[in-house]
Amino acid sequence: MSFYECVNAFPEGGASASRMALTAKALGYQGIIICNCEPGRIFMPQAAGMIKGIEVAVGVEVTAPGSKALKSRISALRARYPFLVVRAATEETIRVASEDPNVDLLMHPCEVRRPLGIATARAAKLNQVSIGFDLSPLVHLRGRARSRWLEALRRNLQLVRKFELHPVITASARTHLDLRSPRDLAAMAEVAGFEPDEAEEALRWPGMLLALNRRNWVGPGVELL
Amino acid sequence: MRSRLPVLRNRRRYMIFELQAEGEISPKDLMSEILSSQYSLFGDEGAAKNRLKMIAFHGSFGLIRFSHIHVPQTRATLAAVHSIHGIRVAIHSKGVSGTIKSATEKYLPRLSKICAESDGRRIELKDVSGCIIRTHGVKVDLCPDDRNKSTGSDTQYLGLTSFDLSGGHEDADGTADGL
Repeated sequence: MSFYECVNAFPEGGASASRMALTAKALGYQGIIICNCEPGRIFMPQAAGMIKGIEVAVGVEVTAPGSKALKSRISALRARYPFLVVRAATEETIRVASEDPNVDLLMHPCEVRRPLGIATARAAKLNQVSIGFDLSPLVHLRGRARSRWLEALRRNLQLVRKFELHPVITASARTHLDLRSPRDLAAMAEVAGFEPDEAEEALRWPGMLLALNRRNWVGPGVELL
Repeated sequence: MRSRLPVLRNRRRYMIFELQAEGEISPKDLMSEILSSQYSLFGDEGAAKNRLKMIAFHGSFGLIRFSHIHVPQTRATLAAVHSIHGIRVAIHSKGVSGTIKSATEKYLPRLSKICAESDGRRIELKDVSGCIIRTHGVKVDLCPDDRNKSTGSDTQYLGLTSFDLSGGHEDADGTADGL
């Protein structure tokens, strides 16, 4: 039952890393991954380590103005952080992130006009990039906007299933009030179109990625113990 | 609707939930927001099948009743509540049970450590400064002087812990007098 959640902590959110960790622990998570754009500026990361019973990992959300800058930033940050997230904003970002094996998670937007493309899905499969589904619009949106978001999510999910990609679900919490328990997230994902087993696996996947990235590989298939 | 035959009676489940809010929320407002969330997610037809009803709400814990086949839908309904009259809230479901007695015995905390006290003490640190609004255990809610410093969240207060403020001691909050 090792569920992990990707969060943003102060100053890129409204709660400190330790408050996030405390709330996540109470909700039943085994760990949180702080995915700030500037991990060096996280407020008191050492305080989060003092919360017992939960693992607090520092990842990074890679942002860059252009595709070339994004590529170089991804390769520069890969060695320093065990978890790399790219929040796709433009077509160019999506293409670069899906074609880079150094990226762990691509947070693809769920928009009807910009669905997940076959080329992106194929590239993500080839480069073992997981596709992230941000469930916060289910909480924050209402009415027509939410129904359009649900429609886009279902379409993206069809492609994820077709290409056997690993989906990841997250609430993209920016404060401790945005965090939801794994069961609540799974229930929300079920409403959005996920199968129950699929949702549970999607909640576990960030933890598995983190464990894989932390291993000390000497070469392909050779691990330094 | 009351069924005449016991075998035709609808089966029910009871859920204990915890409400975390930045301000005081009345049970009436909470229930109307939950129902609005349910209508918005599942429509009139889904709401008619589920028949949500709040049995009790006191402080930050509450008990609701619903149909036994709609557990995930009810969890999603509660999780989709975001704010009530502009006050940020979060509803966390604690557990589901078949009777009120077992639900309260299993999932309600024995000790009522849930009182929130507000005080006027200030925090002055390099990165953050402001007034303490309330403390609850090691959790501290702070009203920052610079409201624009935290980006992206629409909360009034900054969520911290005493670890952030004092450099580690569990019983201190970084102020001159400590907790």
